[in-house]
Amino acid sequence: MDQLEKRKGRFARNMVRSAETVLTELTGSPDLPEGMGYFIDIMRDVFVNQDRSVISTRLQGGNNKKLIGTYCIMVPEELIYAAGAVPVRLCGGSYEASCIGDDFVPRDTCPVAKAAIGFTSLDLISLYQMCDAVVVPTTCDAKRKMGEELSKFTEVWMLEVPHVKESEGARRQWLEQLYALKKNIEKFAGRTFITRKIRRKKLEAAIRMIGRAQYQARRLYEIRMSFPPVIHGRDAMLAINAYSFDTASCWTDAMTRLNNELEARRQKGWFVCGKREPRILIAGSPPIFPNWKIPCLLEEMGAVIVADESCMGSRYLYDPIGITEKSMTDMMVGIAARYIMPCVCPSFAPNEDRLFRLLQMVEEFKIDGIIYYVLKGCVIYDFELIRVEKIMKEKDIPILRVETDYSLEDVEQIRTRVEAFVEMLERKRFKKKGG
Amino acid sequence: MTVTKLRWIILIISFLLLVLGGLVGINLGGFLPTFACPYIGGTRGGVCFFWRFQYLLGLGTWDAFKVLGELFVYFSLLVILIGRAWCGWICPLGFLQDLLDLVRRKLHIGYIRFPERLRLGLRCVKWIFFFIALLIPLWVAWPFFAPSVARDMGQPYCQLCPGKYILPLLAANFDVTAVNFSSATTILMSVLGLIFSGAVIIGAFLKPRFWCSYCPLGLFLSWYKKFSFLKLKKDCQKCTMCEVCYNVCPVEIEQVFKEREKEDVTFTECNLCLKCVEYCPEDGALRATFLGKTIYKSTSKGFFSRQEIIN
Repeated sequence: MDQLEKRKGRFARNMVRSAETVLTELTGSPDLPEGMGYFIDIMRDVFVNQDRSVISTRLQGGNNKKLIGTYCIMVPEELIYAAGAVPVRLCGGSYEASCIGDDFVPRDTCPVAKAAIGFTSLDLISLYQMCDAVVVPTTCDAKRKMGEELSKFTEVWMLEVPHVKESEGARRQWLEQLYALKKNIEKFAGRTFITRKIRRKKLEAAIRMIGRAQYQARRLYEIRMSFPPVIHGRDAMLAINAYSFDTASCWTDAMTRLNNELEARRQKGWFVCGKREPRILIAGSPPIFPNWKIPCLLEEMGAVIVADESCMGSRYLYDPIGITEKSMTDMMVGIAARYIMPCVCPSFAPNEDRLFRLLQMVEEFKIDGIIYYVLKGCVIYDFELIRVEKIMKEKDIPILRVETDYSLEDVEQIRTRVEAFVEMLERKRFKKKGG
Repeated sequence: MTVTKLRWIILIISFLLLVLGGLVGINLGGFLPTFACPYIGGTRGGVCFFWRFQYLLGLGTWDAFKVLGELFVYFSLLVILIGRAWCGWICPLGFLQDLLDLVRRKLHIGYIRFPERLRLGLRCVKWIFFFIALLIPLWVAWPFFAPSVARDMGQPYCQLCPGKYILPLLAANFDVTAVNFSSATTILMSVLGLIFSGAVIIGAFLKPRFWCSYCPLGLFLSWYKKFSFLKLKKDCQKCTMCEVCYNVCPVEIEQVFKEREKEDVTFTECNLCLKCVEYCPEDGALRATFLGKTIYKSTSKGFFSRQEIIN
C-alpha cells in the first residue's frame, strides 16, 4: 500500500513536470498569440495546478451541475448541455497515466486507452474523479474494452456506434441509441421532476451554443489555411484540445478573441514563418495533451503544421448540425447524423470519406508533406495508411509514418527521421520553384 | 433573401395564376407541365398537359394526335427549361403540401420517415398511375371490349388524381369534390380519387411533399433531367457526407450525399427545391447550374447564418 502511494506520488510529480514542460515550450515562443493564454491556463489548471475549486468553477459555474465524462467524438454534447449537465472529454494523453494503465490492460493496447484507465483508477488529476458518469462509444477495440474496464471505477454508459454507417438500419439503430442516451441523461442530470426532461427549447439552445463554438472552430480552420501561416499548429491544436475541459460558451468567447487576433495578424502580415518552411499535415492518431511530442518536434525542426485531421483537433468541432425545423424529431435526427455520418474515424468501414477529406485538405492547405502519426496499438489508423499512401502518391505528396507511444525515449530517433523528412520537403519545394 | 423564401413567393404567385388567374382573363395554355387542373373551373389560368394528353389520346383521331404532337413540343420546351423545378417551385398541389408542412412545423410536430424498403416498394405507384394515363385512353379511343365502361373512363388518371378533388376547393368550387354517381365506373373512380385525396392531405401533414413521390406527371418530367437546363451538381471531393442534404430533403433523396463519382446529382425524384444547396455546410459542395453556369451554391457562412448561429 505504502509502495503504491509512493509510486503514485512519483507518477503525479512526473506528470506535472511533463505537462509544465510542454506549456513552457509553447509560452516561450515569441509568436504565441495573446489569445492563447486562456487555453494554456485551462491546461495548466487541469494538469499542473489541479485545483479542484478552479476547475469546478470553470465547468460547473459554482452550481452543483453534474459532470459527464465523454470519450471519442460521437457523444452528443448537445444532449448533455440541454439536460443542464456539462460534458468533459476524457481521452487521455499522459505518459505517466498510461504507465498506471499498463497494469489493467494488455501490453498492446493503445496509450489513449491506457492513460484513460490510469487517470480513472488513480487520482492523478481530479477531473476524472469529478465526473459523475462517463459515456464510452464503442468505436475501436481499445475503446470498447476500455469502457468495460472503466466500469470497475465509475459509472459507465456504453454507446453503441454502428461501424457501417451508410446502411439505413445502422442509422436507425444509432438514432435509437441516442434516444436511450437522452433518457439516461435526463434521469441522471435532472434534480427535480421539472428540470429533468430535455425539452425542445433547451435542446435548441444547446445546439445553437455548440454551433457558435463550431463556427469559431471553423474560422480557425480557415485562418490556418493562410499562406504563410499566422499560428503554429501546436498552438492551434492545443486551443481546440482545450475545448475538452471548458464549457462551450466560455471557450467560444476565448476562441473568438483568438480568431480576431489572428485575422488582425494576417492583415498586418505578422506570420510565424516565411514561405520556405514546409507545410505539414498531421494525419492519423490524435495527439492529446500533454502528449505534444510530435507537434513540438515537427515545429522545432522547422516545419509548420498547418492542418491536422485529428479527432482532438480540426475534426473535433468541424461538422455542424443542420436542422430546418425545431421539432424534437428533427433535432434528434440532425444530432444523430452529425455525430457519425461526416465522422472519418477509421473505426468505420468502409471509410472512403477520409481519403476524400485528406485530398481536400491537401489542396486547401497547400500541403507539402504528411506526417502519418500512429500510436502504438492503434491498428485501424495504421490499416488505412496503405490507402492514404496510394492516393497521395498520385498527388506526389510524401508521407512519413511515425509510430510511437507517449514515452519520450524515442524522441531523438524520431527527431532524426523528421529532420530528414523536413529537409527533403524543403529541397523538393526549392526544386519545384526552380523548375 | 433565402432560396426558401423566394420559392414561397414564386409558389404563391403561380398558385394565384394557375388557380385564380382565369378571373382576370389569364390563360397560359393547355400544355403546362404542372397541376393546373381544368376541373377548377372558370377561374383556372391554364390546363395541365396530362389532362390534354389523356383527352386527345382518348379521341383517337389523326387530328387529335397532331394537336397532341404540337402540345407535346411546347410541353417539352417548358420542361427542358427548368426540369422538375415545375414541381418544386410552381405546382399548386405542391404549394398546398408545403402549406400543410408549414402548419406542422409551426406546431413543432415531428415528421414521419418511411423506411427504405417501404419507399422502394412504393416506387411502383407512380408507374401504375402513368400506365393508367397512357393505356386506358387508348382503350377509350378503340373500345374493343366493355365500351360502356370505357366511355366513363375519360381522362382516367384525372379521376384518381388528388389535384382534381383538392384544387377546386381552393377556388371555392365545391361541385367536383364528391362521388360521381353517373355509373358504377364513375362511382369507383371518384371514390378512389377521394380516398387518395384524403391520404394526400393527411400524408402531406405528416411527411413533406408526400404526394410528389407518387406523381406520374413528376415521373414524366424526370425523364427530361438529362437535357434540362437546370441541374443540381455536386463536388464530390468537398462533400463530407454529413447527411444534412438528406435530412432537409422533402422527398428523401439519399443518393445526393452518397454519390462519390458523378457530378450531376439531379435524381429522378428531385424537384429542385434547392433546400440541400441552402443547407449544405461546405463551400461549393453543392450548386445549382443553369446551362452549365452556377446560379446558386452552398457556403459555410450561409449555413451558419441560416441556422441562426451568426447574423
